[in-house]
Amino acid sequence: MPRFKIAEVTELQGHDDRAWNIAWNPAKPLLASCSADKTVRLYHYDHATDSSDLRFTHNTTISTGHTKTVRAVAWSPSGLSLATASFDANVGIWEQEGGEESEGPNAGEWECSSLLEGHETECKSVAYSSSGTLLASCSRDKTVWVWEVQPDADFECLGVLMEHTQDVKCVAWHPHEEILASASYDDTIRLYIDDPSDDWFCFATLKGHESTVWCVSWSPDGRYLASSSDDKTVRIWKRVKEHSWESVLVLTGHERSVYSISWGVGKSDDDASLGWLASASGDGQVIVWELTKPSDSDTAPMSPTPPGHSIIARLEAAHGVYDVNAVAWCPRQGYEDILATAGDDCSVRVWKVVPA
Amino acid sequence: MEVFNPNPVIFAPAKVASRRSKENKPESFWDDEDADVEDENAVEPIDQDEIFDLIRHISDPEHPNSLEELRVVSAPQISVSENRVIVEFTPTVPHCGMSTLIGLSIRVRLMQSLPPRFKVDIFVKPGSHQSEHAVNKQLNDKERVAAALENPALLDTVEKCLEKAEAWDA
Repeated sequence: MPRFKIAEVTELQGHDDRAWNIAWNPAKPLLASCSADKTVRLYHYDHATDSSDLRFTHNTTISTGHTKTVRAVAWSPSGLSLATASFDANVGIWEQEGGEESEGPNAGEWECSSLLEGHETECKSVAYSSSGTLLASCSRDKTVWVWEVQPDADFECLGVLMEHTQDVKCVAWHPHEEILASASYDDTIRLYIDDPSDDWFCFATLKGHESTVWCVSWSPDGRYLASSSDDKTVRIWKRVKEHSWESVLVLTGHERSVYSISWGVGKSDDDASLGWLASASGDGQVIVWELTKPSDSDTAPMSPTPPGHSIIARLEAAHGVYDVNAVAWCPRQGYEDILATAGDDCSVRVWKVVPA
Repeated sequence: MEVFNPNPVIFAPAKVASRRSKENKPESFWDDEDADVEDENAVEPIDQDEIFDLIRHISDPEHPNSLEELRVVSAPQISVSENRVIVEFTPTVPHCGMSTLIGLSIRVRLMQSLPPRFKVDIFVKPGSHQSEHAVNKQLNDKERVAAALENPALLDTVEKCLEKAEAWDA
């Protein structure tokens, strides 16, 4: 029996078409969602007085100006900038009028401070590095772009990585190093670093999935990478040398494509916990796994020993009969058991993992 | 435009397979105004003939014929379980560059007609196409499909293929 259950906190309606992605602001109580309706919706949340229940209120809707689906959203680590990736091939950077001082529901409008053009076809994912100085984007044009975030919302392209042979579905930065991972329709994952005397380059290709890799997510400690695929599995890759990662675990439980995963720190009482990994699928399920350090983690931290794993919570029909396109843990302290999902039913839902 | 199969074999549509008449199909889910509404939430059984009826009149992108007349689709190539529909189709020639478009038209038709509880998987008949894996992968990638349908030229072509199928609904 799973130790926890996934309890609904709220259902957020408002998008007019499929909700593709959600992103929690790391610094402020804001949740962003994006949709095929070309908008981004922002929700503010707080605790209702004399209650521990979270209350979500619609804050604003950004009618992005993107001419096609907004496929993905990502916040900068400061929480001051929001990036949008659109099927119109562009990346938008959004900042609030008035900048850092703006707070509360009456703060300034969200305005497009930069439009990053360069991709030839649909942009599918965007991500800020942990320091906030780099931004990565990827596209059906098979490329991954690395951008330097400069003052005054200026962006300089540092590299165009043309390693994948097919669409690139997702990009994700390592939680504290400047390592970038990308996942592709070509069934592989690629890892990149910067050569200080030259350009960004691919130092590893991770093969193992039998179909499209939809999503990648790093473990909070940065020693592992999780990937989810059209082959219905989630794989865990472990760092076995500084520049070498090996597949050490295959997690099964989904019956259709696993579109999204998110690896959060969780709220475990187990000292060996590596955090909670949530997955969302076309089968309508959300599954939460707890991963734990292998017994040799102190003596041989880079051995290919797989981490321990168990399903701690499972939710069927998270969005009714519809696909679940995205799942994301809230990164803010105190909210480590809060999840958001986005679905084909146009809704965004917020969940809390609670003891069963 | 390049014609991939300039001279396709055309077959007569099966007469007995037609289930358009109300007597044969009292639970048809698109005939809301005539159906006996007992319980709107009841799960209506949908069988392979009903799915076939939805897609048989789709036009081939490069011929004036329907997918049924070209034997691209047939009822035995459809399987239906509680919440899943699998449609197999047979391109007229193994190098058919229109296969993705045909598959996309079938997908759009089913997306628009079937209740949302159905997950639809579309494949070309094994061995019938030289790029079988690539065609299958593309047709079953929801992100690719979504993006394709935001392409006005492609959407226009798909809609033309669907016109005749939709006319049968009227």
